[in-house]
Amino acid sequence: MPRKWRTSAKTILPPLIPFVVLTLTGEWIVRAGIVPSYLLPTPTAVFRAIIDNRAELTRAMLKTSGSAFAGFALSTIIGIGIAVLLSSSRWVQRAFYPYAVFFQTVPIIAIAPLLVIWFGYGMRTVVASAFVVSIFPVIANTLNGILSTDPALRDLFRLYDASQLDTLIKLRFPAALPQILTGLRISSGLAVIGAIVGEFIGGDGIGSVIDVARTQQRVDKVFAAVLMASLLGLLLFGLINLVSTLTLRRWHASEQQP
Amino acid sequence: MELQCGPAVKSVALQLESVRKTFSNCVVIGDLNLQIDAGEFLAILGPSGCGKSTLLRMIANLAEPDTGRIDADPAAHRTAFVFQDAHLLPWRTVLDNVVLPLELARKNKAESHASAQAILEQVGLGDSASRYPNELSGGMRMRVSLARALVTEPSLLLLDEPFAALDEITRFHLEVRLRDLWQRLGMTVIFVTHSISEAAFLANRALVMTRRGGQIKLDRRIDLPAVRDNGLRSGAALGGEIAILLAAMEEE
Amino acid sequence: MNRRNFLASSFAAAPLCAILNACGKTPAGKLRLALDWKPEPEFGGFYAANYANHGLTVDILPGGSGTPTVQMIGAGSAEFGTVSADELVVARARGNDVVALFAVFQNCPQGIMVHPSPNMNSIGDVFRSGTVAIERGLPYARILEKKYGFDKVKIVPSPGGDISAFLHDPHFAQQCFVTSEPLAAMHAGVATKVFPISDSGYNPYTTVLATSGALLRDHPATARAMVEAVREGWQSYLASPTATNANMHGVNPSMDLATFAEVAEAQKPWIQTADTATNGLGTMTAARWDTLIAQLKDLGDISQPMNAAECFRLL
Repeated sequence: MPRKWRTSAKTILPPLIPFVVLTLTGEWIVRAGIVPSYLLPTPTAVFRAIIDNRAELTRAMLKTSGSAFAGFALSTIIGIGIAVLLSSSRWVQRAFYPYAVFFQTVPIIAIAPLLVIWFGYGMRTVVASAFVVSIFPVIANTLNGILSTDPALRDLFRLYDASQLDTLIKLRFPAALPQILTGLRISSGLAVIGAIVGEFIGGDGIGSVIDVARTQQRVDKVFAAVLMASLLGLLLFGLINLVSTLTLRRWHASEQQP
Repeated sequence: MELQCGPAVKSVALQLESVRKTFSNCVVIGDLNLQIDAGEFLAILGPSGCGKSTLLRMIANLAEPDTGRIDADPAAHRTAFVFQDAHLLPWRTVLDNVVLPLELARKNKAESHASAQAILEQVGLGDSASRYPNELSGGMRMRVSLARALVTEPSLLLLDEPFAALDEITRFHLEVRLRDLWQRLGMTVIFVTHSISEAAFLANRALVMTRRGGQIKLDRRIDLPAVRDNGLRSGAALGGEIAILLAAMEEE
Repeated sequence: MNRRNFLASSFAAAPLCAILNACGKTPAGKLRLALDWKPEPEFGGFYAANYANHGLTVDILPGGSGTPTVQMIGAGSAEFGTVSADELVVARARGNDVVALFAVFQNCPQGIMVHPSPNMNSIGDVFRSGTVAIERGLPYARILEKKYGFDKVKIVPSPGGDISAFLHDPHFAQQCFVTSEPLAAMHAGVATKVFPISDSGYNPYTTVLATSGALLRDHPATARAMVEAVREGWQSYLASPTATNANMHGVNPSMDLATFAEVAEAQKPWIQTADTATNGLGTMTAARWDTLIAQLKDLGDISQPMNAAECFRLL
């Protein structure tokens, strides 16, 4: 019994302590007048804002979650697909990879208005925005994973006259899985950001709550909404970690207990 | 899995004619001629960098000679390769690793699993079938690699310094086991090593390669009994063979 | 009032600035004037002003989407800024001591721009169908919502100066600066009809020079000098804007010189009124402020008592 508590303590205490310290500090510097409350809301004010606006925040969260999930799902499927295509030949890679990099470098703020023109106001633009922002890490990490297959294992498959497809499905893809999951971890957070930026332009969801609250100079509500958005990012991240644990647990160093 | 009594037919398994290979202006294999009979256990000895691994890879068709020919007996040619590292797929169980070659050849699933299980018994890992490679010791992993190589009932088994990374006791055990399997299954074995005692213990024919230029310096029939166990290791007969091979390797 | 769009990063930096600037600023040095949009004719007078003549060194900080000028004044990252009257009242209600000094636009030049059609005759008609791009959080948006209801239209975020959506869709209406977007649409060959917000009775002063109560208290001479410089600047700009336009165009090349000239001319009636003829450019009255405070209270944006006298000072 005590052992179980000790392990829980080891996991929960380290992140909890800074949180408590930060919250108490935040509460104090505003109450003491060091920072004005219209610039930084106290943690209690933020908490109250969450409670007071829970209906609106819940509604907004559901909308944003849906869009972020959809955008992330598209990134995963299309991103892995593109990486597989790029891995098929040196020439294809050299010809098309630079265009994939475009997704990394294009500032979403700049193209979001274009997305509105193409997809109209509403969920489609938000999903498109989440997709554009989150796809590159999936492509880059998947491609890297597929190309990093142990050459000796590739020799082994060659020896057995394995088809290209077999080599991809039975060797390169499973070997790339840890790397793919790394890409997905990065991409999940970006999908939330992309969705919110999309909402700034296209309307609705948490992005809209943030935008309207900001215009109303309701700092506490802004922080409340931002906090909700972070929780969404955390949720997605946690999901990827779960998938990682389940699939890698038996065989990959990253998921094994020291 | 059929048991065969020793090397069966005295046919030619492999013929190398005037094989030559260069890597960036360095002659790795130079004008090599070699004939290997079916069922032979051939050890290839030589210092590091003398081209023996390259030779093995060319025989395995993983590399092409620049000139010359490598003819394999067309009648029966399943080749299996064992690397210095076990190179198991870490996301597959031991059984699934052994089944891999049969799976890639699209063999019947149930039969493949049965064959794989049987081979695992033969290498002494019958009850490790559902474990994962990261749970096994180095020696056990090498045995799985061996099992994987044997599951297709190969007529030609190529091994590239497979036991070099293992400790001596494990190595001794695996050498005995390998020899035993060879005697029972009767395939042609080509075993590359830099260990003279290993070559002498295992093979019935040994080649010593030159340090440079990729030529055969010595081609010797090992004069030792057919059945070899660890008792042989401290004997004079083995010592004598080792001395001859050593002398050949040292002179240059 | 402003065309703001995206979350400004200074929103997060502001608390940090406040901590760093907690000890008083010395206006003996450079004074920073933070604008709430890109350099355009609405700021002509600020660029035309000769600050040196009044013993001031002024650094004009051009803004853009979402520049939080009220917060910047409160946090001390700018000594002066342009704000809109209603956001100043709300800021004061939140505890931010900002005070208005000079109102460029005597009447609010915000409006809703629509495609002309026989059944579009008053601002209420805008909300009967179609899409309306408006910043929902702004007080005037909520006044319109209260008065006409938003349930029959699709409300989307304002594209902030970008009229591409408007050009493509005949059922698209968007908030605008009366002197800007309609002109741009006309240049693109599309006719417009504009309903000024002020028509619905909501008419806050716009592009108002403001400063912190602290600066006003501790350095009244500086504040006075600033207002004088700005007033002269506006007199000069209204008389001949060409040179200043060239200067602003250099900082903001996204508007061409011809448009600069057009807008500078079109905005005049909003800046020069009977009131300014009598009491000088930038003048403000307590009555106007009182009305605004009452409207905001009615909206529910502010709940504490506030009086006009604390919101503005004529120097």
